[in-house]
Amino acid sequence: MSAGRRRAWGGGIPFLIVVGLYFAVPLIATGLFSLWEGGSRYGPAAYIAVVQQAPLWASLFLSFRLALETILVGLVILVPAVFWMHLRTPRLKPVFDFISVLPFVVPPVVLVAGMTALYTGPDWLVSTPNYLVIPYVILALPYTYRALDVGLRALDVRTLTEAAQNLGAGWGMLVFRVVIPNLTTALIGAALLTIAIVMGEFTFANILLFNTFAVYINYIGGTAATQAAALTLLSFVITWLAMTGVLLTGRGQVQIGGAR
Amino acid sequence: MVETGQVLTAATARPAPWQLSAAGRRARAATVATALFVGPFLLYVTAFLVLPALRLLTQAFSGAKGGVTLQYVAELAEPQVLHAFANSILLSAFSALVGLIVGGLTAYFAMGPNAPRGLRSFVTTFSAVAANFAGVPLAFAFIATLGSLGMITVWLKQWGIDIYAAGFSLYSLSGMVLVYAYFQIPLMLIVIAPALEGLRREWREAAENLGASAGDYWRHVGLPILLPSLLSAYILLFGNAFSAYATPYALTSGSLALVPIEISNVLSGNVMLAPQTGAALSIGMIVVMVVVMALYAVIARRVNRWGRR
Amino acid sequence: MRSGWGPGTGRRDVLKLGLGAGALAAMPALSHRAWAAGGADDATLIAAAKAEGGLNTIALPPDWANYGEIIKTYQDKYGIPISNASPDASSAQELQAIRSLKGQRRGPDVVDVGPSFALIGAGEGLFQPYKVSVWDTIPDDMKDAGGLWYGDYFGIVSLGVNTSAVKNPPKSWADLKKPDYKGMIALNGSPLGAAAAFAGVFAASLGNGGSLDDIGPGIQFFAELAKSGNFTPVAATAASITSGQTPIVINWDYLNLAQAQKTKGMLKIDVVIPEGAPPFGNYYCQAISKYAPHPEAAKLWQEFFYSDQGQILLLKGFAHPARFADMVSRNVIPADVMAALPPAEPYKNVKFPDSEQTKKAQKTLAEQWSKLVKS
Repeated sequence: MSAGRRRAWGGGIPFLIVVGLYFAVPLIATGLFSLWEGGSRYGPAAYIAVVQQAPLWASLFLSFRLALETILVGLVILVPAVFWMHLRTPRLKPVFDFISVLPFVVPPVVLVAGMTALYTGPDWLVSTPNYLVIPYVILALPYTYRALDVGLRALDVRTLTEAAQNLGAGWGMLVFRVVIPNLTTALIGAALLTIAIVMGEFTFANILLFNTFAVYINYIGGTAATQAAALTLLSFVITWLAMTGVLLTGRGQVQIGGAR
Repeated sequence: MVETGQVLTAATARPAPWQLSAAGRRARAATVATALFVGPFLLYVTAFLVLPALRLLTQAFSGAKGGVTLQYVAELAEPQVLHAFANSILLSAFSALVGLIVGGLTAYFAMGPNAPRGLRSFVTTFSAVAANFAGVPLAFAFIATLGSLGMITVWLKQWGIDIYAAGFSLYSLSGMVLVYAYFQIPLMLIVIAPALEGLRREWREAAENLGASAGDYWRHVGLPILLPSLLSAYILLFGNAFSAYATPYALTSGSLALVPIEISNVLSGNVMLAPQTGAALSIGMIVVMVVVMALYAVIARRVNRWGRR
Repeated sequence: MRSGWGPGTGRRDVLKLGLGAGALAAMPALSHRAWAAGGADDATLIAAAKAEGGLNTIALPPDWANYGEIIKTYQDKYGIPISNASPDASSAQELQAIRSLKGQRRGPDVVDVGPSFALIGAGEGLFQPYKVSVWDTIPDDMKDAGGLWYGDYFGIVSLGVNTSAVKNPPKSWADLKKPDYKGMIALNGSPLGAAAAFAGVFAASLGNGGSLDDIGPGIQFFAELAKSGNFTPVAATAASITSGQTPIVINWDYLNLAQAQKTKGMLKIDVVIPEGAPPFGNYYCQAISKYAPHPEAAKLWQEFFYSDQGQILLLKGFAHPARFADMVSRNVIPADVMAALPPAEPYKNVKFPDSEQTKKAQKTLAEQWSKLVKS
């Protein structure tokens, strides 16, 4: 058994090295440029300049906060729906599938125009950045839906449900104590993807005049060249830390494969 | 179910519970439960996606001075538009395939049951970050590496290898597939992870006990079980590439004709504003997606044999 | 209710009308006042603007035509805070922001859009009319007769050259065809989506036998550059010219000059106006949003913008202000500002395309660009 395991793992190393290089080299190129200070001087001047800009941190925290709110709203709406669809109404699947790809083909400008024309909304919502959460849930929909879909498919939802109900569980206990702990990987994946999307979303925030992280990065990108590269790598590291945080929070709940 | 049925039907006002048969009660409870679970989702999507997007339909068919016209939709048949659609579809299909295969293999090696634990977390986190690393920063990174004056291009030239003379171009369809892979592969990794977890080790052990080799296992057990999830992931990768705008624009300024860039030029640009053309192009994109989804539904039905329990 | 010079009009009506007109002229803070007599120093306008408490601007990058200093000077001079959002918004997005934020206190007060968008915005009723006190000194071909929009500054197409990567910079359009510049020449975006790129193709047309009515030779020129490999389709940015990825960028003169100034310690960027060719220029337009939450502050902004002080600040950002000819004739431009500008010759004969010529060129570009220009 252990020989088989070592065999399977060993075969992957050259492949992983090539893939690793593919991902690392462009980052290294960006890094080299971010350290350039003119002529042949290299130094951290760009990083120092970037880190000192207060609007940068403000926009970063705003985007991160919006990301967390989007995850919350998105999962609350989506998890019951996808769960029920898998369990009871598989005939709704084509509807779900089509809806989940619509955000890909509706241009963001059209969505903004349509939303703001239809809903002039309560002022306390519309004039704050929290308003962005509403379209962000839609933009993250394709990714979160697929993540949950794949996750639920890997579970045998019907058997789980029957077993739980035979043991006397109500719907609440079933969803919160049985299904969700089994979906941890999918939920984490959905959360990570949502954060990625919200941190990178530009058009909505730009038109509605909110200063999110992506808006700020774009602005720096158009002005200071080395600072833009420095900011790219910095946001890479910051997002990494955020994702690790999410991962650790999620992993703490249940051991992977624990349900088996 | 009886328990739930009693609770829910007590709350409804129409035909009194004792007037419904047990089956009727169950059916009533089922629809209410469906509404409870699925309702908020459908409401949300209708309100904030479908309704705002309906303007596309009205705009695509309305003339500049009001009235209905097919002129803008007819423009979709013009050669440069068809060319853009062809490019978009090819780019999406191929980059999704690259993401599927390379991402799938990477997921298996790095996140499979045999991989060391630290590598798995590293790869997951990196994928989450890289899936977002698109647009101008990605374009800059690749131009700096493989552009006509890029680091690697120049380094290879010193060894006598001129990749641009040999026909490679970062700004062509194949170059774009190479760049797109940077966010397609991580996306695939994140989405397929739960499906890989669903491949129980016991199945592998059972297969080996019955004398199957690794190849046999994958051909008869592993891949058939994974296939529905792989298809699902492919659709996501396709859509992701289909709608990508910032990366190809930064790389090629639209010289490689792609539909999202054409749409952005007429809806969100600095030179012209043509809402009807943009709406017609978007309708074209929706049609393409509908066709892709229809194909997906057909294939998925045949492949889902293993999923029906 | 029809009032007018009908048969029933008598002395009393005239008196009423006269009183009304007098009252109108006397009331200072009416939103439909035509202009402020004192311009940027008009006390009543300043008081009204200060009472509003702020100004919302949109799409004004700080190093685009020196907007950073203009915003700061306005804030310091009048004590009115400016909230400048979305510096990277396109003209289409600016119009959409006006529509989407209608009725909200966060909506944009003033916009700076390209001429085609100014026409569209005026047609859609997104702007409110206002004529600054120096209205007459703005050239006629740069403003709307009804005061809905007015040109603020113009520039001509130039070549920005990173001299570390390019040993002998090109001097004319024909030079760009030389094999020394392989893979070096870039526009700042798609000519169908970026105004400077559109201007670049138009300028190439003027430099190769075309005219404002015919952008064809420009497309041909870029098709040749693309075929020979000199033209790279990358969308040039500050990062790409500084890093040497796109060492030759065809862009507005004020943008190339501002970039050159910014990289002074790090590397030398030359800004070249192509020789031997009629220059192509275009202008941007200021307008006040119809739903401006701070209309008086917006009017004060326009007054300040078009005052001598404001226009000289534009010149410091290397952008030629709309009232350039008027200011030169009155000799009010400081010598050091003039010295930092490129030589005056090309700017004397700049002609802007009118909306018909622009639309025709857009149509030709849409049909032919992706077909002919393949890299």
